Amino acid sequence: MTDYFDRIHEGLPIDDVEIIDMHAHLGPYFNMHIPSMDADGMIIMMDQLGIDKTVLSATPGLCGDMVLGNNMTIDAIRSHRGRMYGACIVNGNYPELSLDELERCFTEEPDMVIVKTHPILAKCKMDDYRMQGICKWVADRKLMLLVHTWLDQDPYGSQDQLTRMAKDYPDISWIMGHSGGPYGTTHGIELAADLPNVMFDITMSMCPARQIEFLVDTVGADRVLFGTDNPFIDPKPQMGRIFLADISNEDRMKIVSWNARRYVDFG
Amino acid sequence: MAKLKFFDCNCSVGRVPYPLIMDIPNVDGLRREMETAGIEEALVYHTVARDAGPHLGNKLLEEALAGQEGLYPCWVVLPHHTGEMPPPGKLLKIMEEKNVRAVRMYPTNNFHSFSMADWNVGELLCSLAEARVPLMLDIEIVWWETLQTILDKYPGLPVIATSVSYRHNRFSYPLFERYDNLHVETSRYFGAETVEEVVNRYGAHHILFGTSMPQYTGTSAISLISYAAISREDKEVIAGGTLRTLLKEALS
Repeated sequence: MTDYFDRIHEGLPIDDVEIIDMHAHLGPYFNMHIPSMDADGMIIMMDQLGIDKTVLSATPGLCGDMVLGNNMTIDAIRSHRGRMYGACIVNGNYPELSLDELERCFTEEPDMVIVKTHPILAKCKMDDYRMQGICKWVADRKLMLLVHTWLDQDPYGSQDQLTRMAKDYPDISWIMGHSGGPYGTTHGIELAADLPNVMFDITMSMCPARQIEFLVDTVGADRVLFGTDNPFIDPKPQMGRIFLADISNEDRMKIVSWNARRYVDFG
Repeated sequence: MAKLKFFDCNCSVGRVPYPLIMDIPNVDGLRREMETAGIEEALVYHTVARDAGPHLGNKLLEEALAGQEGLYPCWVVLPHHTGEMPPPGKLLKIMEEKNVRAVRMYPTNNFHSFSMADWNVGELLCSLAEARVPLMLDIEIVWWETLQTILDKYPGLPVIATSVSYRHNRFSYPLFERYDNLHVETSRYFGAETVEEVVNRYGAHHILFGTSMPQYTGTSAISLISYAAISREDKEVIAGGTLRTLLKEALS
């Protein structure tokens, strides 16, 4: 039983430690009804749980128009300065527009802090030649690149492709989104164990038993990040997962805050 | 405030062919997961009953749960036509003797290879409905159209849909509106503020606490409910109130 057991069960915000959500979204998604999906609603949910900061990419930019998505992200950042930060969306099908977006977003908005790509939604392989210029831009600035991974055999963004790219671009701090997925975590860890520039985020809609403990035991807590997918999915389940996990409180702090701060300047 | 008493409707024992991360095959492992999450009671089926054969798995379940306080059996059943299962009347009698008050079914040719149409399962569903025995169905196997047919034809049959996810609201809301006997469990029910919206629109009795332990962790479903912006009474209904009532009414 962890120190947080009673507060999690009582539904009280965990407000005595900093919590940074490194994997969040915003806005509608075509194949589902999301009861609460705007930035104000996200802030209410964050306060309810004790989440201090959220790094988000607006979903319409992942499944539709990346410029629209990046603009929504910038609006959210500006409406909630100090609480919301941006993950600039890029799409390999638009290599030049992606570079323009990176320049525009990182120049215009200081709280655009990482980069996000969703290969399977874009249907562009993450190691496609069109991604090379984008990755060079990210590597030159030593930024984090969050990549959606889920299925072992994902033809566009598998754990294998991500780790190959991580070797090609060691200056990028890669985030293996969803830790490679519920069935792909073990494979992802096997591939990335010796790649210190690959991080794992715990965002999950299907939450395997002992996954966080497994990540801490295998790659170490220094390489694990907290994320929720808020509001694509509800952030509440991730609170129970991390604050009831059988790990030390120091490892928990690394995951919910310290690791994110090692890579991102939150001001 | 006193801790909510969680009664999990969706647990299993037994080894699975494709473990997610950990191999947690026995009751001790399930107990450890329950303790970590803070879950007091559970309705449990055996994975062998799903993955190999109901008869063998249900027998293994009986052995595994013998003397286990707070763990209650849920059988996997088939229609009786092949002789693998007793006819419905006899089946219910045996269930009553063994205090089995809920069942699961795995239809379609990818699972136990039978149809959920009346010509195949009609007699069984009719008997389950008369005895008010909750029927658990994986929504990824039966899908929503089949579920609607069952709910409509057997209004006295409590149906618990498992594996309902954050992507299913457009399917489930119209059914909540029409069918009071539809319940969904929470192991994947992670739509942002969906619990709140369903409770406010249709009532808390439609949602049952479930985790899919020990393949999934129970910790995530716990905080989904403990942090939900709903009343304490509604949380109690979801945490175990409705399930306790359903099991009490079954076979009575």
